[in-house]
Amino acid sequence: MNVVFAVKQYISKMIEDSGPGMKVLLMDKETTGIVSMVYTQSEILQKEVYLFERIDSQNREIMKHLKAICFLRPTKENVDYLIQELRRPKYSIYFIYFSNVISKSDVKSLAEADEQEVVAEVQEFYGDYIAVNPHLFSLNILGCCQGRNWDPVQLSRATQGLTALLLSLKKCPMIRYQLSSEAAKRLAECVKQVITKEYELFEFRRTEVPPLLLILDRCDDAITPLLNQWTYQAMVHELLGINNNRIDLSRVPGISKDLREVVLSAENDEFYANNMYLNFAEIGSNIKNLMEDFQKKKPKEQQKLESIADMKAFVENYPQFKKMSGTVSKHVTVVGELSRLVSERNLLEVSEVEQELACQNDHSSALQNVKRLLQNPKVTEFDAVRLVMLYALHYERHSSNSLPGLMMDLRNKGVSEKYRKLVSTVVEYGGKRVRGSDLFSPKDAVAITKQFLKGLKGVENVYTQHQPFLHETLDHLIKGKLKENLYPYLGPSTLRDRPQDIIVFIIGGATYEEALTVYNLNRTTPGVRIVLGGTTVHNTKSFLEEVLASGLHSRSKDSSQVTSRLASRR
Amino acid sequence: MASLDDPGEVREGFLCPLCLKDLQSFYQLQSHYEEEHSGEDRDVKGQIKSLVQKARKAKNRLLKREGDDRAESGTQGYESFSYGGVDPYVWEPQELGAVRSHLSDFKKHRAARIDHYVVEVNKLIIRLEKLTAFDRTNTESAKIRAIEKSVVPWVNDQDVPFCPDCGNKFSIRSRRHHCRLCGSIMCKKCMELISLPLANKLTSASKDSLSTHTSPSQSPNSVHGSRRASISSVSSVSSVLDEKDDDRIRCCTHCKDTLLKREQQIDEKERTPDIVKLYEKLQLCMEKVDQKAPEYIRMAASLNAGETTYSLEHANDLRVEVQKVYELIDALSKKILTLDLKQDPPPHPNTLRLQRMIRYSATLFVQEKLLGLMSLPTKEQFEELKKKRKQEVERKKILERRAALEPQRRLEERRSDLVSHATNGEVVSLRGGPAPLRKAEGWLPLSGGQGQVEDSDPLLQQIHNITSFIRQAKAAGRMDEVRTLQENLRQLQDEYDQQQTEKAIELSRRQAEEEDLQREQLQMLREREREREREQFQAASLHTRTRSLDFREIRPFQLEPGREPRNHLAHALDLGCSPAQSSAAPKTPSPSSALEPIRLWSGPPAPGQEFFPQSTTSQHNEVPSLNPFDEEDLSSPAAEGTASPPAAEPPLGPPACVLKEYNPFEEEEEEEAVAGNPFTSPDSPAPSPFDEEDGHPPQRPSGPPVPGSPFEEAPCTNPFEVDSESGQEGEEPIEEELLLQQIDNIKAYIFDAKQCGRLDEVEVLTENLRELKHTLAKQKGGAD
Repeated sequence: MNVVFAVKQYISKMIEDSGPGMKVLLMDKETTGIVSMVYTQSEILQKEVYLFERIDSQNREIMKHLKAICFLRPTKENVDYLIQELRRPKYSIYFIYFSNVISKSDVKSLAEADEQEVVAEVQEFYGDYIAVNPHLFSLNILGCCQGRNWDPVQLSRATQGLTALLLSLKKCPMIRYQLSSEAAKRLAECVKQVITKEYELFEFRRTEVPPLLLILDRCDDAITPLLNQWTYQAMVHELLGINNNRIDLSRVPGISKDLREVVLSAENDEFYANNMYLNFAEIGSNIKNLMEDFQKKKPKEQQKLESIADMKAFVENYPQFKKMSGTVSKHVTVVGELSRLVSERNLLEVSEVEQELACQNDHSSALQNVKRLLQNPKVTEFDAVRLVMLYALHYERHSSNSLPGLMMDLRNKGVSEKYRKLVSTVVEYGGKRVRGSDLFSPKDAVAITKQFLKGLKGVENVYTQHQPFLHETLDHLIKGKLKENLYPYLGPSTLRDRPQDIIVFIIGGATYEEALTVYNLNRTTPGVRIVLGGTTVHNTKSFLEEVLASGLHSRSKDSSQVTSRLASRR
Repeated sequence: MASLDDPGEVREGFLCPLCLKDLQSFYQLQSHYEEEHSGEDRDVKGQIKSLVQKARKAKNRLLKREGDDRAESGTQGYESFSYGGVDPYVWEPQELGAVRSHLSDFKKHRAARIDHYVVEVNKLIIRLEKLTAFDRTNTESAKIRAIEKSVVPWVNDQDVPFCPDCGNKFSIRSRRHHCRLCGSIMCKKCMELISLPLANKLTSASKDSLSTHTSPSQSPNSVHGSRRASISSVSSVSSVLDEKDDDRIRCCTHCKDTLLKREQQIDEKERTPDIVKLYEKLQLCMEKVDQKAPEYIRMAASLNAGETTYSLEHANDLRVEVQKVYELIDALSKKILTLDLKQDPPPHPNTLRLQRMIRYSATLFVQEKLLGLMSLPTKEQFEELKKKRKQEVERKKILERRAALEPQRRLEERRSDLVSHATNGEVVSLRGGPAPLRKAEGWLPLSGGQGQVEDSDPLLQQIHNITSFIRQAKAAGRMDEVRTLQENLRQLQDEYDQQQTEKAIELSRRQAEEEDLQREQLQMLREREREREREQFQAASLHTRTRSLDFREIRPFQLEPGREPRNHLAHALDLGCSPAQSSAAPKTPSPSSALEPIRLWSGPPAPGQEFFPQSTTSQHNEVPSLNPFDEEDLSSPAAEGTASPPAAEPPLGPPACVLKEYNPFEEEEEEEAVAGNPFTSPDSPAPSPFDEEDGHPPQRPSGPPVPGSPFEEAPCTNPFEVDSESGQEGEEPIEEELLLQQIDNIKAYIFDAKQCGRLDEVEVLTENLRELKHTLAKQKGGAD
């Protein structure tokens, strides 16, 4: 069930199968991302892969002494490029791997192009998704829906991604979906269709309890992606943005050249692996320890290496030191930037109110706090808008709803119109009318008691009170209590036992907060393995773009204008 | 006692508090204690209790830590407070995901296509061959044309009003031209020409490839094979001077394309770029490293552990070899990096990138593997290590044997108990078969263990024996025996108590003034020796009375105490030498070996005698004590032969410092390891093999205040240091090598750092490099 491992295994297999010799890896835009998530350059270099080329790159030289490993998505475009490539081969031999099911006719046209008999292998290796963490994958689709329904292109991509995931994990699941979402049902059907069509591929060893695929829709919980985050991974994504494990730091004031873009990968960064789920305070102290540790090891400029032993020690420690120095400078920079942003944007205060809006039901206090923060000049327009959005979502139908007043405040604060418009769009996207379940007021007695107790005891950490709605859903699912009228099975058969292997897919994107939730569920629930996926992994900004792209705001006139502006900003 | 019997594997905890011997279990520890330290203070018993508790705690702690470790390694360093679920990072690795191959489909389609293509190419080449098969220069144009027309039918001029390639209308000015290969028509502009050399190349190559081609369409070619060769050679010789079409063949673009592609293929087949050659060499070197490095590491590890499996010289050679390969890798990758760099035009950026990457990965390889190469010990260090190792092995062996002995001893006890009712003769006949073999195996450890177990206080041992006899007798239901035995036991215990009170005083004193007790110790030794001799007499008498058992059967336990009072010195020597003798014994498990022990115990055996003179002399010099065990101790370092007299001098002094190291819970390895050697190499010049063995016995009965045996010190004493000093000259070249290696390393780092643009690091490194070079120069100067 480890998705990173699954993809990595595919890549390793490809490289192994090509035998010894210098190799070039030919990829397309998407597979480049897929590979880069699981392999580092130095790791792949050791396997004699020295060049990485894009299949669409025109500037490739003939290098007949190289073997080519082609890892491509089976798109029309790629097949065409490959046909051209085979007509005039640039490399001595080609090992072709498609990341998904390829049609017979495409295979035929490729075969006919291979007049020089350079192709040694044509296979499907189903690494057709971005493996972010062992339990988290993404398809990097932004803007998957038009209105309430799928963009057909993205639907097919999502179907491909999900089926590839199932194949790479060798799971032939039962499917449940969120009834309130048309998109979820559509995707479930498409996946089912592929499973039926490619039944030969999906013939795996039967497990006692069949795996379960649960398809959800983001609009059921629009709250989670609107919150500020305080665990390392989620926080970095929220404040700096993680794109295929890469973080753009070029906007950090006074950044040095080699830190403009850094890679945060739990696969080869021990510090990150150990800290990605810890909260900001803990990371602060850990980074301090890391620094101190590093200082000790650092060779001083004036430190004379007097004895041979000294030199030996130095030489032996050097690579370790160097590796560490990279890690240290990277994390110090990242954490430094995070804390700068936190204080600059007054995020502690903002987050506290956000959490209150998300988790408590005290309208007047919440309203008061939001109003207070809107007056604070340190609060950015982005944060102001998100506060108002949270308020709007939570107290949408509250009797003394004073959203218009808050909107006025926003205008007075000088928040641009595009942002103000987004408030109503978000409500349109994830408001009560849309939601299939109640986000804010608990329904069953247990949950009510829980909340009551929580209110009594107070919360340990005001910044991390919020539990994504996904937690409750999965909790019910694991206990076999997830209601079938809200999350029906696709097809007649239902799961009698409690599920063991669960794949959750969120249309409209997951978040790192949810990834953490799933991570914790995995660790705390014996016998259960959960993998979380989404069309993408959101932070607030990308979520708002997603909402915009869905075109739900089309009622307002200048929507297209906003979209284009936002797109251009991207 | 039995309740404490803990067969747990954790050894580290069960060290005797007095002699720090590592015992395998609570049971063994306890019995050891009672056997060896019987005369000592009752307080000691309290001590041992607390020790046992400590050990338990430690064990728990250790186990817990182990558990934590496991959990930690399990979660790859994640904070692990798992509640039963599994961290996604440690989900058990799954098999490779689903795959589907389209290769057979692909090949099917391709085969059809290739057949077509090959036929096409071959057709052209056959025609080309025919066209070049005659001497074109010396043939009239008309004749040529006739031949050309015979090769391929020309398309009728009237049928083609326009050039099929460019679409121009043919006229007087733009005339029709025929492709000589396919007969089609094109205009002059679209016409291509094939020169004779190219034609020759194509035809001769196709002949070469004939044998390899399997396509049936090619078979017609083979007919012309031999002929073609001779003819083409003729045509290539023929002079081509005139400007006519004599040296060229007209053809259309399509045919030319096909032929050019073919030419390209031929070229590629023949050409191997330099980079490939270099790269192959590089890979070969890397393979070599992959092969040799583990071997070297194994050697170095073994040498560093003081083992003598490999020779230091050999390892050094290997190291040099591996380093040479590294240098070669470095050189090769550098060469690849700079390949064609100065060429004009400069190579394609991708080529450069490839070269850079190869260099980079070679650098990574060198860095990673080179640093995995642990350094070898210098000769000096090696000697030291060897010594340590020997001690370790020694101790381990003893432990192992003792562990092996334990069940056997019990068995034998039980048996002897049983057979005690039988006559001697019966016993012998009964045991005739299996016994000798077992003894041959067991004899060694018996004597070894005996060294520790036996000649401690016989009282305690006796008590122990009797207790077990009582147990067995009870089990057997012989109540009368139980009664007598119990009485014996009481007597023994009284004696034991008395002893203990005496020892208590000593122990307290001992503990108080551990550091500078030498003199007093000697004094005490004497006193206690007398005392003990007296006690032992008593014990012996008791002993003989209580146990009318077959001597041969339970020899180690019975014989000796009986003898001890009479022949103390001989006994000591027995102990000392028995390991030496036994080294031979276990390998010959013949019936005769069963007899050997008896002979051995009945008098000082040969090896003992060898030691004897030496030991006595040293004894007289150093320790004019009555304790015969001490002299044995002294003799060992002396006899070991590394050999300066001062080595033997402080037999009691050093233990004090050894003692400090003896944290019972940490020492296990050393403790165990120091034990075993006498069996492997009793005469090797390294650490005194008898240390452990002899060390304990003399102490205990004589009660020197130091729990650590004096003999463990031996390796620390002078002889070996002297030795290592002498080895220092030999060490110089190694250091030089090391320096060279470090210089190489740093160079690699500098390169690396430069690549990464870490200039500050480059500076530091350069500084270091300078420094290293300086040292090297200095060393070289010194050496010269």
